Amino acid sequence: MKFGFVRVLLLIAALFVAIPVHAEQRNFFKIGVITELSGDLVTGGNITKRGYDLWAQEVNAKGGIEIQGKKYPVKLVYADAQSNPAAGAAAAERLITQEKVDFILGPYSSGVTLAVAPVVDKYKIPMITGSAESPLIWKNKFKYTFGTIPPINFTGATSIKTLTELKPAPKTIAIIGSNDAFSKATAESYKAAAEKAKLKIVKFSIVPSGQDMTPLLSAVRSMKPDVIAFGGHDEEHVKFVKALKQIGYTPKALLMHCGITDKAFIDAVGKDGDQIFGTTCWTGTAKTKSKVLWPNAAAYAAASQKAFNNPGDYTQGGCSAAGIAFQTALQKIGAKPGMDEATRTKLIQALEQIDVQTFYGRVKFATSGEFYHANVGLDPLTIQIQGGHVKTVGPKASVEAAAIYPMKEWKSR
Amino acid sequence: MKNRGATILAIIGAALLILPLVVHDTFVLRVLTEGVMWIGLAIAFDVIAGYTGYLNFGHGAFFGIGAYTIGILMMQANLPFWAALPAGGVAAAVVALIAGIPTLRLKGAYFAIATWALSRAIQQLALNVEFTGGPDGMRLEAFLNPQFFYYLMLITVGATFAILWYLLERAPFGLKLKAIREDEEGAKALGLNPTKLKMQSFVLSALPTGILGGIYAYWITFIDPSSTLGDLVSDQAVVMVVFGGMGTLFGPALGAILIFAFKTIFWAYLSDFQLLYLIILGALIAISVIFIPNGLWGTMFKRKADATRPQHQPEPASEPAALSAVAAPEEGN
Amino acid sequence: MMELLPQALTDGILLGGIYITIAIAFSLTYGVMHVIDFAVGEWIMFGAFTGYYLNKWTGLDPFLFLPVIFVLYFGVGYLIQPVIHRVLSGTKGNPFLMGLVFTFGLAIMFRGLALTAFGFYSNSIPSAFSEGSFDLEPLGLTVTIPTVRLVGLAYALAITLILHYLLKKTNFGLGVRALAQHKDAAGLMGVNSKRTGSYVYGIYVGISAMTGVLLGCILSIGAQMGNEYTIFAFFVVVLAGMGYLAGVPWAALLLGLVQSIFMIYFNPSHTLLAVFAILYIILLISPRGLFGKGV
Repeated sequence: MKFGFVRVLLLIAALFVAIPVHAEQRNFFKIGVITELSGDLVTGGNITKRGYDLWAQEVNAKGGIEIQGKKYPVKLVYADAQSNPAAGAAAAERLITQEKVDFILGPYSSGVTLAVAPVVDKYKIPMITGSAESPLIWKNKFKYTFGTIPPINFTGATSIKTLTELKPAPKTIAIIGSNDAFSKATAESYKAAAEKAKLKIVKFSIVPSGQDMTPLLSAVRSMKPDVIAFGGHDEEHVKFVKALKQIGYTPKALLMHCGITDKAFIDAVGKDGDQIFGTTCWTGTAKTKSKVLWPNAAAYAAASQKAFNNPGDYTQGGCSAAGIAFQTALQKIGAKPGMDEATRTKLIQALEQIDVQTFYGRVKFATSGEFYHANVGLDPLTIQIQGGHVKTVGPKASVEAAAIYPMKEWKSR
Repeated sequence: MKNRGATILAIIGAALLILPLVVHDTFVLRVLTEGVMWIGLAIAFDVIAGYTGYLNFGHGAFFGIGAYTIGILMMQANLPFWAALPAGGVAAAVVALIAGIPTLRLKGAYFAIATWALSRAIQQLALNVEFTGGPDGMRLEAFLNPQFFYYLMLITVGATFAILWYLLERAPFGLKLKAIREDEEGAKALGLNPTKLKMQSFVLSALPTGILGGIYAYWITFIDPSSTLGDLVSDQAVVMVVFGGMGTLFGPALGAILIFAFKTIFWAYLSDFQLLYLIILGALIAISVIFIPNGLWGTMFKRKADATRPQHQPEPASEPAALSAVAAPEEGN
Repeated sequence: MMELLPQALTDGILLGGIYITIAIAFSLTYGVMHVIDFAVGEWIMFGAFTGYYLNKWTGLDPFLFLPVIFVLYFGVGYLIQPVIHRVLSGTKGNPFLMGLVFTFGLAIMFRGLALTAFGFYSNSIPSAFSEGSFDLEPLGLTVTIPTVRLVGLAYALAITLILHYLLKKTNFGLGVRALAQHKDAAGLMGVNSKRTGSYVYGIYVGISAMTGVLLGCILSIGAQMGNEYTIFAFFVVVLAGMGYLAGVPWAALLLGLVQSIFMIYFNPSHTLLAVFAILYIILLISPRGLFGKGV
């Protein structure tokens, strides 16, 4: 009996034991990484982690971030947001109060970002997310939160425009989006762009996440749209392509989003992935020039291929670029590790002012308006998968290859 | 024994109350706040599952309804938090009342799956209507005072615990519920009204859950269908209650503390092994079901309960003798 | 819109075929062992990955491996069943609930193992069947039937018929049915409940794993795919009447048709809302399923 109570008390006591925190005197930058390493969004979370890792690896290979002649290495401390906003907020609080990180590299999803942002605002710790791109984040105008990926409503219009410039020009479009925050916003941005481009929208549907969409696509087929556009995630992209193929309907153009630039998608659908269009703002062959870390996109893709056996997609690249943005701002104000509040405020000001060319393209954060603190320095790209490779087909300034259009019938591949 | 138990409870309670004065670490406070919340969710779940024997696989729906009620009232009707909070509990209780009438007629697996289907339907509804923000979720105005949320959570859960303790362990109500759990027909024969009692139990389970959901929403500042209306709350509550011991109040509380502590320690200090966490948690659940089917609490204190039973009959005299006999084997405190 | 109806019905029936394969063995297990196996989706997932890797290593069509996968997972199920049996026959606590929580734990563990072993990417299993489709245009119908889905339906019907034969025409089936009706009495009549239970669970795990390969060919595979199929397995089994095998094909077809009709004729966004609402309402009206024959 007595034993029982003692055990209970001991177990309760165990809860209260926190690993002691040392006063932070250090000669390296300690950076918190909050991302989804488990739960539903584990795929995206791990892609962001790769981006942050690769940046840290590259910085440390060069001896660290050079501040006033001295090099400070970086050390990443991870916290899993478990694809859950509450866990994300707790992760931020732990990294800030226990780990005493200098700044934070942020989550994959917009939902977790929205829960983390008030916490980093409260402690005045700068955060850049290399992935979250929901327009809602920027509308809330969090002072300490930045993002390197342009919002979806900023990128969506470009690929619709590229498609309308093809010959013979498509006239009708069916738009489908999965019912999650990101995919729905993607579909809505395509819709807005299509309306503007005077494409006739024959169907606009939002579907529950992860479902078999064959029946819906059968209905779409009967309307014979020239273009089918789809907003979804990796697994849904695979299902979508296979369903279209199974019902035997080949639109003149099939437009998805950036997920298709990931090698895993191309591997999964093989030759059926060919000639699918996508929207992105970075590819491994993008024409970028940079003086920081990687000289251009190709060098980054090669480094990523070496590290992860995957050239990396625009999410991963955006995360590495987030690191570069911090690095640039730190150098600019000459901040050393263990920053106090005044320095961090200066860091925010520096981030608002930076305008830097990276392997990812230009990084420049908006300081007002609906894209507040989102990167508006990039030009969105329309890409197409050609022979298993991602090729930029629009806008004109960035074209690598002519778009293949109309799409080759599934049957004759 | 009774006095010692009360003393220990009082000490723990007092320690929890003065804790924020000693601990200034806001992360530790946050963890404790969440831990307390899970205790509340687990004991509320156990009212219908453990005491009444109806496994509610949609417990998370009450949590989400509470969260969304507060979110909508605060952000769209501009009500202050204090005015919105009770509404969260009331909304959950009303849904329990309406859904309970038809659903509680089902038993066993059928009840479990019906509640699960209902909670899924509610989640889909939240994804498809405008006023919840759909898949984008909803952001609440941020009020990030760790002490405030710690005390609010502590007081809410403390009060819930005390009220449930009185109703379930001291008043005849708890025995009546257990009678239904053991033999619903028999309970009817004894003159009890199972329908009414089950309804009361369901509402009693929903009310605090809704309030906790409301506090959660204001505390975390962001809610969406997958985090508040998904399976997370239901799943965790089941695991905590089964691991701790069903049909008691201390069992689920203990289960909640241990599972949550395990989870948090793993999460905070072993984050490189996040997948290992899933494997260990799964294995832990499976193994505990095999070796301690009565839960930790039930296993630890079982011998004592059996030993003291003959000399010690705490049941109120007004209860039919047969009732106490049915309820007896599960009395574990 | 009416000209879409034949295609809507076809899509619904083909989708229903997929649900039959997910639910039929699940229902059998419930009928005999009274366990709601939360890990059903994870067995499907493991089967899918086994098929995926076998195809990758050998380059042979995944459908050729179905027997191998069945035998392999039959063995796994056969070996695991005694543990579940122990959980379910405990005198302590609530055995039904314990079975549920036990398999829930297994499901979490399996998902963790799969993420560790297979990574987090989604994938697809290529098959010769994934290529073509039948067009019924010449018959005056605007209906397309994807070959791979037709194969899926055929597989579903084959499994159903084989199970039916096993249950109705063999001694083993007699034992299973006796066990499903009355456990203790069956024991008295000389049915070895432990062994029969192990066979049944083995058959269920084997069939679920084979189904995984099929789903990988038709849809996609990933370490987290299980959960979704667990949902549909529940739906079909409950609608059919828990443990009532003959109800499964009808319930599965109904689910397929509801989804298909809803996606085509109503707001597709409300499809799952409709699915869960229907499940809930049918449970309230007729808890023992569409035919009132559940246990």
